[in-house]
Amino acid sequence: MHRRTMSEIEKELLDAIMDVCQVDDLPPEDIYADSPLIGPDSPLDLDSLDAVEILVMIQEKYGVRITPRETSIEMLNSLETIADYILSHTDDIIPREMIL
Amino acid sequence: MTTEKKQIDFIHRQSAHCESGVTSNLLYHYGIDCSEALAFGIGEGLFFGYMPFVRIDRLPLTTYRCRTGEIFKRVTQRLGVTVVKKKFRNPQKGMDALDDKLAQGIPTGCQTGAFWLPYFPPAFRFHFNMHNLVVIGKDKGEYIISDPVFDNPVRCTGPDLMKARFAKGTLAPRGAMYFFDNIPGNHDIRNAVRSSIQSVCKTMMKIPIPFFGVKGIRFLAKRLKRWPRQLGEENAQLHLSQLIRMQEEIGTGGGGFRFIYAAFLQEAAGILENESLETISEKMTFTGDRWRTFAASGARICKCRAKNGDTYDDLAGILNECADMETQIYKELIEQV
Repeated sequence: MHRRTMSEIEKELLDAIMDVCQVDDLPPEDIYADSPLIGPDSPLDLDSLDAVEILVMIQEKYGVRITPRETSIEMLNSLETIADYILSHTDDIIPREMIL
Repeated sequence: MTTEKKQIDFIHRQSAHCESGVTSNLLYHYGIDCSEALAFGIGEGLFFGYMPFVRIDRLPLTTYRCRTGEIFKRVTQRLGVTVVKKKFRNPQKGMDALDDKLAQGIPTGCQTGAFWLPYFPPAFRFHFNMHNLVVIGKDKGEYIISDPVFDNPVRCTGPDLMKARFAKGTLAPRGAMYFFDNIPGNHDIRNAVRSSIQSVCKTMMKIPIPFFGVKGIRFLAKRLKRWPRQLGEENAQLHLSQLIRMQEEIGTGGGGFRFIYAAFLQEAAGILENESLETISEKMTFTGDRWRTFAASGARICKCRAKNGDTYDDLAGILNECADMETQIYKELIEQV
């Protein structure tokens, strides 16, 4: 199967997620932008508790608050879906002093 | 019903939470433009309850929203919509009744066990028997479903839908289905918004039992602080992970419901022509952020990667902070409505 190369933001997200969720035993080249992120098929072996940390990390790092509508199933599907979300919400960036 | 494709002209809109989404979409189909947030607010969806004596999988029950089914019930009552609800002992009769409604062109809500719906990605399948969806058509033996937590309508075979509608276990749906019978021409949204806000404030502030509302949040804070000592580290982590999963699973939950209620207050500000509600809405969003901080910190403890500031004492502190913030919000809301 052809897998496309990761974009800069997807790579950055992967690093941040691996850092936050302390995944250190998997080479990043084994992950693709569209690999499932959470659940039994996730190469990172992440679960719903990790998902909470990822949401908070995205809000802190990118200033984008992810409300329930976006966290519903598809949004946390893969690095690609998260990156798309962040890029399409750059207008809604929360001022740093208002984050959490 | 024949095998020929039959699909009701039903507008599917994705939502964060199934019950408020189904309520909103069904109302929209009949000409009442009620967003998901408005449905959640008018349905008094916001709540908190910590009931250590009620156990799920031997762990205490925590709820961040009202009882399932109540949102739909309250919204339809407040707007004067008459609803017909049916349950079935016999699965085949339940499916036949659904087919009859589809043949009549009536979108029909169903209560299902989410675990048995094959279109759910495996990672998000869980045993929850109160998942709501609307069946809007049938094509070659497959049902066409407006499941509000998905971005587009989905398909499900008859046997799979039957299994989901007649799932066994806690709160078994027993084939429950519902549809609108009569929709009034006039409905008083302003009054529905006002009375629902009053009611939520009363529930969160005045229930004289320590398990519910802001008292319940403080009660949980007290108990949680003692968990490592009382239960041992491993069991304390189990309790904590259950608490967080109940809060944040699939994006709704404690923080999530606070965000939806904030969106409701934003709309309420326009409907009631009261700008103060916009400010209160922002405060509710910040409360949602604090609930989410609580969940993230708790998740780190459960995953044994706690940082500075991730202790049970700290978690209790965040909960008390959420209780303080919410108390202030309900006080201000009561003054405004």
